Amino acid sequence: MPKKRTGLSRLGHYLPGQRLRVAALAVCGVVMAGAPVAALLIVRDAINEAMLKRDEPRLGRDVVVYLVVMSLAYVLQTTLVRGLARVGQNIVLGLRQDLFDHLTTLSLRYFSQQKAGWIISRLTSDADALSDVLSQGLTTLVVNTLTILAAIVGLFVLDWRLGLVALVILPPTLVLGRWFQVKSHAAFLRVRETIAIMTAQIAESVAGMAIIQAFNRERAFLAEFDKANAANRETNTHAQYLNSLFFPGIEALGVVAMGSVLFVGDHLLLSGSIQVGTVTAAVFMLNMIFQPLQELSDLYGQVQSAGAAMEKITGILDTEPEIRDADGAKQLSVEGHLQFDRVTFSYGREPVLHAIEIDVPAGNCLALVGESGGGKSTTAKLVGRFYDPEEGAVRVDGHDLREVELRAYRRQLGVVLQDPFLFAGTIADNIRFARPDATDEDVADVAHAIGVDRIARRFSKGLLHEVREGGAGLSAGERQLISIARALLADPRILILDEATSNIDRPTEILIEQALDRLLRGRTSIIIAHRLATVRRADEILVLEHGRITQRGRFDDLLAAEGPFRELAAQLHGVSDSGLQSAPVTGSRPRSSASAVSSEPE
Amino acid sequence: MDPPDLGLWPTTRGLAHLWREQKQLVLVGLGCAFVYSTLSLAIPIVVQRAIDHSIAPTNGHRESLWPYLGAIVALAAIRFPVNFTRRYATSRTGIRVEWRMRELLYQAYLRYPRAFYDVHATGQVVSRATNDLYPVRYFIGWGMTQGLQSLMMIFGIAIVLFVVNAKLAAIALIAMPLVAILTYNFGRRVMPISREVQQLKADVTEAADESVVGIEMVQAFGREDDVQARFNVKASRVRDGVLRQARVEGLFLPGLLFLPSLSIAAIVYFGGTDVIDGHLTNGQFYLFYQLLLQLVWPLEALGWILSLGQRATASASRTFAWLQGIETIPEAAEPATLPDGPLGVTFENVHFSYPTGSEVLTGVDLEITPGEVVAVCGPTGAGKTSLLNLLPRFYDPDEGRVLVGNVDVSTVPIADLRTVVAVVTQRPILFSIPLRDNLTAARPDAPWEEVVAACEAAGVAHFAADLPDGYDTLIGERGVNLSGGQRQRVALARALIANARVIVLDDPMSAVDTQTERHLVTNLRPALAGRTVLIATQRLSTVEVADRAVVLDDGVVVESGKPQELLQSGALFSALFGEEVAVA
Repeated sequence: MPKKRTGLSRLGHYLPGQRLRVAALAVCGVVMAGAPVAALLIVRDAINEAMLKRDEPRLGRDVVVYLVVMSLAYVLQTTLVRGLARVGQNIVLGLRQDLFDHLTTLSLRYFSQQKAGWIISRLTSDADALSDVLSQGLTTLVVNTLTILAAIVGLFVLDWRLGLVALVILPPTLVLGRWFQVKSHAAFLRVRETIAIMTAQIAESVAGMAIIQAFNRERAFLAEFDKANAANRETNTHAQYLNSLFFPGIEALGVVAMGSVLFVGDHLLLSGSIQVGTVTAAVFMLNMIFQPLQELSDLYGQVQSAGAAMEKITGILDTEPEIRDADGAKQLSVEGHLQFDRVTFSYGREPVLHAIEIDVPAGNCLALVGESGGGKSTTAKLVGRFYDPEEGAVRVDGHDLREVELRAYRRQLGVVLQDPFLFAGTIADNIRFARPDATDEDVADVAHAIGVDRIARRFSKGLLHEVREGGAGLSAGERQLISIARALLADPRILILDEATSNIDRPTEILIEQALDRLLRGRTSIIIAHRLATVRRADEILVLEHGRITQRGRFDDLLAAEGPFRELAAQLHGVSDSGLQSAPVTGSRPRSSASAVSSEPE
Repeated sequence: MDPPDLGLWPTTRGLAHLWREQKQLVLVGLGCAFVYSTLSLAIPIVVQRAIDHSIAPTNGHRESLWPYLGAIVALAAIRFPVNFTRRYATSRTGIRVEWRMRELLYQAYLRYPRAFYDVHATGQVVSRATNDLYPVRYFIGWGMTQGLQSLMMIFGIAIVLFVVNAKLAAIALIAMPLVAILTYNFGRRVMPISREVQQLKADVTEAADESVVGIEMVQAFGREDDVQARFNVKASRVRDGVLRQARVEGLFLPGLLFLPSLSIAAIVYFGGTDVIDGHLTNGQFYLFYQLLLQLVWPLEALGWILSLGQRATASASRTFAWLQGIETIPEAAEPATLPDGPLGVTFENVHFSYPTGSEVLTGVDLEITPGEVVAVCGPTGAGKTSLLNLLPRFYDPDEGRVLVGNVDVSTVPIADLRTVVAVVTQRPILFSIPLRDNLTAARPDAPWEEVVAACEAAGVAHFAADLPDGYDTLIGERGVNLSGGQRQRVALARALIANARVIVLDDPMSAVDTQTERHLVTNLRPALAGRTVLIATQRLSTVEVADRAVVLDDGVVVESGKPQELLQSGALFSALFGEEVAVA
């Protein structure tokens, strides 16, 4: 794109390929707008030449021509309505796809700065606003503008002095129209605003109904809602007030215009320069100016919001993706050797990581511990190249991630987050997300290995149970299980578990660990966890505090040594006062899944 | 769960009732519509007379044009305020009806049980109270009055034309009813498509929404191509839907221009021959032409109103069905009162299942003494949340009883019950209001010292000072987004501030980091003193707050006792937590 344009003119970008269609439609539009004017000229002829001169055959000819012209207008209008809709919809579709494609390339930093709702509105309500203007609006705009022009020309054709009358009456009409446009646009925006507030109020109440009811807050929320509902009523009433003034006003002006034409026509008639048919035709011709003006005034608000919508969409399209493939980025087949070479990183001004050094040989398991805000998740995100380091480099198999083809690399990752996102679809669909071509058996195997099949049993359709977006209706632990199955099925070379089992009970977690060991043998993994039992299987544990590695080593060594890890462990289980810590663990465990534990503790 | 839509007759009765509530506005609108119709007929008649008596006098005697012009302007001057009042009053009727229906719906939403919200997506519930009401608003606000006015105009015009020239009127009016039929059919053809387009647009919103909210997963697995392809398919479907709609529009709408032109052609021909024969004056020819043009809109409007009426009744029947058919959690006819002082909690042979699946609780017996803190443990999916949700009567058990203070909860007024039971849900729910108001949501008049004390105990004070406006910081999409752990702590503080005698905590610290949890566990115990508490948790460190732990497995209580004793028993509890102790 050589030059960045904002606003509606940028839509022209999507026109190539449709040029011929657009040109044909333009011709259609001009002819169509001319048709009713031509029809009125025929009516004038019928009055002046046939009726006044008592020429019946001419009357018959006039009527036939009239019908032919109107039939032509019918066909053309049909073509125009459909053709313009196609042009408009192709533009919107192209724009929507570009916008979505572009969004998926933007970095996490962008998504953390912009609220999700804001971004989604660009893809939906803004694109819809454009769609409305381009499909129905475009027809209204083209047809009515051309009709007004044709009618003015038509008046001059009837008689130039009658044409002048129209020109005299037009300025006040335009002033009134302009007044209405400005006022009603402002009113329309206020209506939109109050609708948005009211809708948000209802949506929030519905989403939080459990708490509203649990704390008996019904009355307070009703009072808030009443305010929003009443505000919406008032803005709507005001918008209707403007409408109620404008349209009758235009109607009244139309009558004044007609009076003027009668007055002037009367004088011209007396002087004998025109005949009564011309006056009659002029009165009807005026209709063709006033009627379209009303429709155009209605459209103005739509065009304005479409312009505003386009500007916001352009804002996204012009955002350069922060993370993208360098020229000549390599396809990397990941072995799993992971290095952080003096990596420094910050989200804002304060560094979150200070010159971090990490080296994980392929196939090893690294655990990150430390209090929240220490930089654990940030480290994990740098492995996925969701951000680039400010200093230093993250290397996989010796390749700087900035020189690696991003998408192919990420397809070899498995990521599980603490609050995992589930997509609308069945549980099986969600497991299959990272490998859409996986067979039903693959899915069932993974589900069984992780224990998803056990929780799915409570649904009548099992793994085919439909999950709503976000996973509503499932507990946090259940969502975590599903997302672990998803990562496992992806068969990743590097697996990142960011507090991935925090809501899962320990026996189930052991089941998961066994599955991971079996299915991902020899794969590199990074674990972030607060449960000590979870990190003990790591080959190396790093303690991250305030963005610095303060201790590293194996579990037993760390626990034996004086240092932050032991403090952390004490915090977790500094429970000597309650006596829990000293309680010996005895006996066999009832679940086979848990038996792995009994062989190793103490 | 969804009651059947209401039939046509009860729906109409419901709508009529709402209409009658706005009687004054309706009457003003109808009165003005009558005057407006009369004036709109009078103006062309004056013009006709001006033509026949002054501009092109039929009898050779030429009158002055001025009185006619004066009359035209005067009529227009009267018509302006009448038309304004007509439009304004009518649209206000619709706005007020919409406002009323939304109020009724929202009030109902506040009463609906959790089971309702389990099966209805938020979007559906919201749109029932917003977008779905617009057809009703337009039908009542515009349709009813415009329909009556259309009838007045149609009859008025027909009478005038028949009086002027009966034969010509008959010929001219033949084609006109087709306008109404055409519009009606158009509405019937296009409405299903436009509803479908709305649905397709909703699909696009959903696709956009989940890709944006789930972008990290999409990028993490490098699945951008998949979601792009899926989005493109949905976006293309919208285009195809709109184009289908345009095809129907292209077929019907130009007909609205074409049909009247058939009548006009008839007027020009037959009226023209009458003029030639001297049976019709120039002015009368004008009158016919003009009134035919004026007839188009009322007929068109009738067609619109008929199809709008169908949509409005469909939409209203769904709304009324919800208003009348959804069962709320039943209130006892003779309400019991809860005793004073600390309250015990008892579950007696409690069975519970969700409508969609198998039984989750299969006979829970559990007795909790007043002031006891009990941890509810168990594997993922054991039924912990379901058990906790029975206490504030989010659901009622299928079988068995839940007692608070030895009173069956189903006999206590729900508001009373929920005053003594405070909950923290697994996913903390905060509202887009200042932090301060979120904290005091359950007890707006809580003394500030108590709020501060609860915030200290729940670890809110720890981060509240760092927020841009402290306790006055606006929370949520339009304000500050708190982290999961912070939200949980606010929810916990809110429950403490509620000053409830029973507190239900569903995994209240799962997203809190270990150091903070440590702090919470130490501080929470004194803050909970004297209250009966149920905590569901997966963390041993949280279990420490409790006097006793019970273990749920497959919907029944399988273990109960002091945590350290359970650890030694070697049963499920020690499987759940034993290793954590062992490694530390």
